[in-house]
Amino acid sequence: MIDISNEIQVENISKRYGETIALNNCSIKVKQGEVHAIVGENGSGKSTLAKILSGVVLPDEGKLSIFGKTPLNPIQARKLGVEMIFQEVLVAEDLPVVDNIFAGSDGLFFRSISKNNARKKSREMLKNFTGIEINPDTLVKNLPLSVKQWIVIARSLIVSPKILILDESSASLDLDATDRLHQEIRKLRNQGCCILVVTHRIAELVRIADHATILRDGSVVGELSGNEITAKNIMGLISSKSNKIEENQKNKSNRKKIQNKIVLQGKKIIVTNGSNDFDFKLKSGEIIGVTGLDGQGQVNFINAVAGIKLPLKGDIYSGIPDSKNKIKKFSDAERNGVAYVSGDRANEGIFPNLSIFENFSLALYRIFFKQFGWIKLRPLKKAFNIEKKNLSIVMGKSSNRITSLSGGNQQKVLIGRALATKPKIIILNDPARGVDARTKRELYLQFKNFVAAGGSVIYLSSEIEEFFDFADQVIVFRDGFPFATIASENISENVILTAMFGDSDLINRDKQVDLR
Amino acid sequence: MNYLSLKLNKFYSYNPRFEREKHLLVPIVLIILLFTVIAFRAPQLFSNNGIGGAIIIIAPLILAALALTPIALVGRGGVDLSVGPLIGFINVSLVSWLVGNGYTSPFLVVSYVLGAGILYQVIVAAIIIYVRVSPIIVTLSGYLVLTGVNLTIMNRPSGFSPEWMFNWGYGGEILSPIFFILSFMIIIWFLFSRTVFYQQILLTGADERMAFASGINTVATRFGAHIMAGIFAGMAAFTYTALISSGDPTQGNTYTLAAITAMVLGGTSPAGGIGGGLGSILGSINMYMISYVLATFNFGNVSGFVTQASTGVYLQFHYLLIVL
Repeated sequence: MIDISNEIQVENISKRYGETIALNNCSIKVKQGEVHAIVGENGSGKSTLAKILSGVVLPDEGKLSIFGKTPLNPIQARKLGVEMIFQEVLVAEDLPVVDNIFAGSDGLFFRSISKNNARKKSREMLKNFTGIEINPDTLVKNLPLSVKQWIVIARSLIVSPKILILDESSASLDLDATDRLHQEIRKLRNQGCCILVVTHRIAELVRIADHATILRDGSVVGELSGNEITAKNIMGLISSKSNKIEENQKNKSNRKKIQNKIVLQGKKIIVTNGSNDFDFKLKSGEIIGVTGLDGQGQVNFINAVAGIKLPLKGDIYSGIPDSKNKIKKFSDAERNGVAYVSGDRANEGIFPNLSIFENFSLALYRIFFKQFGWIKLRPLKKAFNIEKKNLSIVMGKSSNRITSLSGGNQQKVLIGRALATKPKIIILNDPARGVDARTKRELYLQFKNFVAAGGSVIYLSSEIEEFFDFADQVIVFRDGFPFATIASENISENVILTAMFGDSDLINRDKQVDLR
Repeated sequence: MNYLSLKLNKFYSYNPRFEREKHLLVPIVLIILLFTVIAFRAPQLFSNNGIGGAIIIIAPLILAALALTPIALVGRGGVDLSVGPLIGFINVSLVSWLVGNGYTSPFLVVSYVLGAGILYQVIVAAIIIYVRVSPIIVTLSGYLVLTGVNLTIMNRPSGFSPEWMFNWGYGGEILSPIFFILSFMIIIWFLFSRTVFYQQILLTGADERMAFASGINTVATRFGAHIMAGIFAGMAAFTYTALISSGDPTQGNTYTLAAITAMVLGGTSPAGGIGGGLGSILGSINMYMISYVLATFNFGNVSGFVTQASTGVYLQFHYLLIVL
């Protein structure tokens, strides 16, 4: 109590969104010069807490003090030196890089820095962060997601913040970039900045956090500091249900493999400009993991097999390669039982203005639930309730807007939509982005059940842990090409990482790795 | 066409600054085309008289289109439908309240047109911001209210513009007072577009959530955009009064659709963040020249309709070109 003005103090804060309680009597103290992690499942209220600290959301009850003051909007929070990097990558797509980076650092009428210096600074910063030269006048819409993320990070760093809040900010960064972000975080901490990291990536926060607060259902359930911060301790506090599911998972490890029929295959396909062609096969009852460092062609591959963007050369067939089975457009893929779920919920998944139920049923009634052009509402509702139960989606009324759900639950709705089409193949593009550990495990279980019933899954992820005890094989992309295919018994962090970084020496020594 | 767009994309990747100004490409091509056609079909436009007359006619349209531009740039689908009736209102109230009562000093007249424009836009902005009604609905009610008010003030065209303005409307020479006013306002626009404040308008329009979350004062920005709109609408009414030398309660309304068309032809998107003042100016000039070119053909009684129809077709065509 001696030096209140030197820290963040949150006292008994509560916040509700309609019927959902986001925060319930939550109290936290953060000192200067520390990296403070806030951990919890999706819907545990950590994003809301971060938004309250940055003034974007006002609490219903409770007291917030940042250096002794209470910010009421983002402008006031920024004046106090609070910078927040949001979960969503907030950029103005039609404006150049430099304007995006310097958004908000100028006054209403005066520049903080001349336009030319701003250009120079942007070029330098992005070069430093991404390692590539990016023209500051490039429109942001032309850049890949990872660079957009760095733009948002750069925007917060140029003003030398006193308090930096990162809400899942490493979600769109690859491993290498995450390391560089950590370096930046440490540098700031050593300058006396106070850093709040909101994350699901437990491995990541174990590496950088000095202090961790664990939230569950909007309340603080534990605080750890220093050596107490271990993955085990955190997991124990995060979820009460986790043990039970882990047991289930053990049982599932020895699931029967009924891989026989080829359901999807590519012949001499090229998915990335200037790369070699390759073949690819997916059998029924198989889970194929796809990974790689950022921008190594794995996303192109996923888009190609899902029929969203056909390969540059070569053909994809559903089943045996003849002209009847050739996938020429997205609807061909859809007709052959291919369902696609994107992890980029904001851009490729949800319709934010529509209800949960509408979001669920949109892709369905056109094909599965119509009769003479009318929607068959009752069977549709039944299907909705089945998926809701199977995926244990936590929601208020189904007529609420989908944005009232947490990210993980939104993702579940989208996966439910895919499952309700009774697909043969589900293709997932990083579905676990911004989803908490428990939800992830529930999803894996769903997919395993789906596969046990004869379905197939192609699963793209940038988090290696997700493949353990889940994928039958992992394809690691490098330079637009499947650099290595790793069988399930060999899947380990080390093997995948070496493949990702293209260290063929190491891989050659490990004979079990099948190098194409 | 595909080949062309590939070439363009390649050009943009080397010169990214031009991609921001991509919307100007079509209006510039069109203006060159129209100039060429006019040079052959109606060279009299390029005489002292022709250009002078054109400036007088085009000035209110350019200023009205510029008035719409900041509101469109600041986003939320802001199209100011009420700009026409606002021009009409300032015109009739100036003629019947000020001139009718003998207040004709130039300083007073200019202050009045600017003040009335700004006041109206501040009210509109306040409703949009605080009552959170969508701009198109607020400005639509503004359109209806002002149309009624204008007819209450003056039920038919009558009255006179201030005496010193009388011969401004002849347009016998290029360097007329209207020319200088128009040039002055265009210079004001370009200075404005160089400011940080204009940058904040673009950021707010491009992504309001991002702008808010990065600490931009979006409320002040929105008010500011409307104040700029008020200034330009006021000056549009001023030049319009000079053009008709009297008061007219209904003719002003036509500027709503004309100015929106000019702005959109110039590549400014009502979705916000894309476009700019130069586009609106080019769009206005193009609109004038399209009707001028069509007037050289003899369509008889239906020439007005032909002009409208061809502007509409061109508007669609313009968007097709952008998409390609």
